[in-house]
Amino acid sequence: MVPIEPTIVNKIILAILNGVVWALIIALVALGLTLIFGLMDIVNIAHGDFYMLGAVLAWYGVALFNNFWLGAVMAMIFTAILGAVVERSIIRPVEGLPAFTVVVTIGLSYIIQQSVLATFGGSPQTVPEPIRLTIEFLGIRYPAYRLFVAGVSGLALIALGVFLFKTPYGLWIRASMQDKEIASAMGINVSNVYIMTFSLGAMLSALGGALAAPITQVFYLMGLDVLAISFIIVIIGGLGSLKGTLIAAFIISLLENFITLVATPTEARVISLLIMGAVLLIRPKGLFST
Amino acid sequence: MKNRLILYVLVLVILFSLGFTLPTDMRSLSIDIFIFAIYAMAYDILYGYTGQFSYGQAVFFGVAAYGLLLPVLHTNTNLWVSLTIALVITVVFGIVLGFLAVRLGGAYFVIITIIFNLTFYLIALDWIWLTGGDDGLTFRAPKIEFGVFSLSLYDPVVTYYFMLSFLLASYLILKRLISSPIGKVLIAIRENEERAQLIGYNVFRYKLLAYVVSALFTGLSGALYSLRTRYASADYFNIALSVQPIIWTLVGGAGTLTGPIVGVILINPLIYYIGVWWKHYLSIIGALMIFVVIYSPKGIVGNLINKIEKS
Repeated sequence: MVPIEPTIVNKIILAILNGVVWALIIALVALGLTLIFGLMDIVNIAHGDFYMLGAVLAWYGVALFNNFWLGAVMAMIFTAILGAVVERSIIRPVEGLPAFTVVVTIGLSYIIQQSVLATFGGSPQTVPEPIRLTIEFLGIRYPAYRLFVAGVSGLALIALGVFLFKTPYGLWIRASMQDKEIASAMGINVSNVYIMTFSLGAMLSALGGALAAPITQVFYLMGLDVLAISFIIVIIGGLGSLKGTLIAAFIISLLENFITLVATPTEARVISLLIMGAVLLIRPKGLFST
Repeated sequence: MKNRLILYVLVLVILFSLGFTLPTDMRSLSIDIFIFAIYAMAYDILYGYTGQFSYGQAVFFGVAAYGLLLPVLHTNTNLWVSLTIALVITVVFGIVLGFLAVRLGGAYFVIITIIFNLTFYLIALDWIWLTGGDDGLTFRAPKIEFGVFSLSLYDPVVTYYFMLSFLLASYLILKRLISSPIGKVLIAIRENEERAQLIGYNVFRYKLLAYVVSALFTGLSGALYSLRTRYASADYFNIALSVQPIIWTLVGGAGTLTGPIVGVILINPLIYYIGVWWKHYLSIIGALMIFVVIYSPKGIVGNLINKIEKS
């Protein structure tokens, strides 16, 4: 047996914990993205900005009411409404024209970013952790808030699963994903399903952002990095595949956390990119495409 | 036909005479417009003619900008050699990235180009030893040498005609390309990819060709821009720079080649002047993008051509 330095073991345990927490947060964002794409063929560029809005509103919750949870709930409600309005007003006219939906969401992304820049400001802010407790186990100290985030994200994912697979709304969404015309012929109001799904996707992204706010820095361009990693995840998992997205979120998140033990975050991202390239060459439609 | 010839001659005469009559700031703006017009046309080949919607062309802009800068800075190569190096590197990147992105098409294409762009930007910020990161690198522009003659790029009038000649050459080459049988195949692919495939064309090869040609001219634009600013930074990979050609092409009219140039002529002064008094001008750009695709998806030149054809 080669003796291993305890610090390395500690670092590995930390990497695993951080990887899992981050995977659960990013899964919320990426699932929203893949849900919107799977149903409407929309590559939503503004998705990262919904995430950013979540974090910004959580910051406002703390700044104005000294209540993080209120901020998080506010963020979810606000983005859900925003999502519905956006779908109805600016996405509906260009539906079915994939390139144009991208352009519209880029435009939306600019408007959201500039609005936040004008009100929230351009310098990064921090949100204090709402649970200031560290738990000691396996020789490391770990903030309880992060474990709590993992729990909330996990519950949200289970709730999403129940919603999609056990309720009539979920049934409508899945039916419309399979075949819009037949779903419509069966009496499903596909128009409402679109609005609901876009709104749901935006809300999931904002929840991810709000939960991540105390862990990262709140900045008006923070959505870009999350957009990049979410896209890598949905490409590896297979566009539109919920199961694939969930699994890929864990693979990439854990991997990047492990690699950052020995390299910079940028180098970790480059390796994720290379893995994505390899997946594209071997299984062009993603690991879990059907 | 005769009218068109007169129009061409007129445009040429105006462009030529503007070189020594324009005031300094307008000439500076014109030089930028010439450089970005090449970028805009390159995007039109990709999206307007072949229907491949890329959101990551800044990768080639940045790669070529550094492809020119680094040889000049470190080995003091002359202008033509460094420009050639920049373009060759860009084409290599175009082939490699194109090979991954083009095959899948559609939404995959959009997403993969974004991922490339965001990752290249991160790398450019991170590898300061190579790129200078956010602060960037400056260099002395080499002289333009033709045999015994040599001209200095520090003279704005020289720069004006230098960039103008690259724009005209690019226009002629790309015009020739889209009027050739290859161009017709590209349009056929845009209109109906499956049918083009069934007729027997190797769709992948043609789409990759369009991607690489677009990368090459985007690279030319990036290399010229770094030559003009005598500077390059990680910002040359900024995703915002990938949005520009989309706006130009949509505002001017996709698939018209001249339309995107009109887009540059309208949008760049607009950004330049609005940007001076309102720092949130990007929100206007965002609103404009939404407006254009909903209300005027054919763009200015596209609508004009429609009108002429109807009458």
